[in-house]
Amino acid sequence: MFDQLKELICNYVEVDADSITEDSRFIEDLGFNSYDFMSLLGELEEILEVQVSEEEVIKLSTVGDAVKYLESLKK
Amino acid sequence: MNKELLKTLQDLVRLAAEEYGDKAYIKEKAGTAIIEKSFNDLYDNSRRIASCLTEKLGGEKVHAAVIGPTSYAYLAAYFGTVINGNVTVPLDAQLACDDICELMNRADVNVFFFDKRYEPMIAAVKENCPQIKAYISLQPADCADISISEIVEKYQPTELKNIAESDLASIVYTSGTTGKAKGVMLAHSNLIDNVTCQDNESSPEDVLLTVLPVHHVYCFTCDILLSLRYGATVCVNDSMMRIAQNLKLFQPTIILLVPMIAQTIYKQIQTVSSSKGLPPAAVAQAVFGGRLKGIFSGGAYLSPELINNYLELGIPIAQGYGMTECSPRISTASFDEISTAGDVGKIVNRCEVKIVDGEIVVSSPSVMQGYYKYPEATAEALDSDGWLHTGDLGYVGDNRRLFITGRKKNLIILSNGENVSPEELENKFAGKSIVAEVLVYAEEGFITAEVFPNSEECPDADDAAAKLNEMIKEINLTLPSSKTIRRLRVRDREFDKTTTRKILRKQSYQGDIK
Repeated sequence: MFDQLKELICNYVEVDADSITEDSRFIEDLGFNSYDFMSLLGELEEILEVQVSEEEVIKLSTVGDAVKYLESLKK
Repeated sequence: MNKELLKTLQDLVRLAAEEYGDKAYIKEKAGTAIIEKSFNDLYDNSRRIASCLTEKLGGEKVHAAVIGPTSYAYLAAYFGTVINGNVTVPLDAQLACDDICELMNRADVNVFFFDKRYEPMIAAVKENCPQIKAYISLQPADCADISISEIVEKYQPTELKNIAESDLASIVYTSGTTGKAKGVMLAHSNLIDNVTCQDNESSPEDVLLTVLPVHHVYCFTCDILLSLRYGATVCVNDSMMRIAQNLKLFQPTIILLVPMIAQTIYKQIQTVSSSKGLPPAAVAQAVFGGRLKGIFSGGAYLSPELINNYLELGIPIAQGYGMTECSPRISTASFDEISTAGDVGKIVNRCEVKIVDGEIVVSSPSVMQGYYKYPEATAEALDSDGWLHTGDLGYVGDNRRLFITGRKKNLIILSNGENVSPEELENKFAGKSIVAEVLVYAEEGFITAEVFPNSEECPDADDAAAKLNEMIKEINLTLPSSKTIRRLRVRDREFDKTTTRKILRKQSYQGDIK
């Protein structure tokens, strides 16, 4: 999941995939804006065939938070 | 639609039903299905809701707050209120409960239409807003007196009152420089003027995807009201997460965006184009669903560079300018006349603009009636002749093209079009012993608080930064996400001041980012 997310992140912001860690914060460290961030989650929702909740998504701050949240939906 | 017959929002809903009948006005997702509601449905359902309001309030004038994301039920609640001479108070769906209560009390709200997601706060609203006599949920909810679907089932369409074009239709809150939100009073005539000031903007063949918050007048006038006039179909984007999916699903011909979204979509088109080796214009067609005629942009400044980038993709992007106080359009552009000269479009018909000391000052039938129960603010915005002082600096070029050069006001305009009052955020630091002085501004798109700490309270700079960060975390919990403070700078000397000891807003930033 983490590797898949890293690859997708690079489609949204100009960062080196190797520099992304689980502690990377979407907005402050990776340079996402709120719309990029929501689009990324929307794309993941489609790829992973899960139902993502907007209320939960806005609480996610780091890449690790997103991995944990998405994994919980896959179970 | 014959615009000569169009004087009020009641006329607009009725004439749309007469002219466009059972054609789809709204399309929205419900699980995996798509539900359609016609122009006839809206006229019928609005009159049933009006009937219910008359019964619940015993004929008393209704001020109905409406809160929730865009949905057919939201629009039925809105039009069910205004169609019979009552007043709507659309509220920002991101507001915290305390703010919602405060704004409703100030607007004398006596009916509350709410999306089901607000159910947990209804007990607190009931305690803080005792004047509210009816709680109506947009979807069935246990805590509501009744829901929209129950109203449609139980009530018959009422015979509508005659309403005057000068009647108040809506009180729309906007951020003020004083930090206190101001309720912009828009009469039927104001909104109708803005809907009819231009012609040939759309047609019944058009399909819009509405993505912006519906409580904003820009979205409400240009997506919702203009589509009633022209018989266009409005498709509801169910989440900011799903714009890409919904563009493919609904294949809109027109879309209203703020620059931030337009910029992001452009970036994504470029990324896909280079990674897959496809021409950018072909990718753009696929991304926007294949039928897009053009994009309208407003809410924040759109750079000529981005306009050019979209033109290269074969997509015209037309920039407009306006403000809630002007219903909102002051200038607009059309798809067949895209300018990259840096202007914000041509001044709309019936709108006069003059420049006073560099400030754009406007007279138009779209200009508000004033701020609700706030005469001091009204006197500042509207002069004795009814001219609206926009607070923006600019000039008028050839052909009524309007150029904006800066903002007189201190409002922070984020790239997504949200207005944030720095004073409102600075006020959150009031009374904190560790803070001697604070200034809030936008820096690189981040809302930044620059603090000069109280050295007696906290002499160590790192310790002060840690405590301030904790304090900001707590403050942010009380703010909608768009207004949260994202960056802290800690100064080692006090701010430069005016002679009256007010902090100068325009001064160089000091202190490291903490």
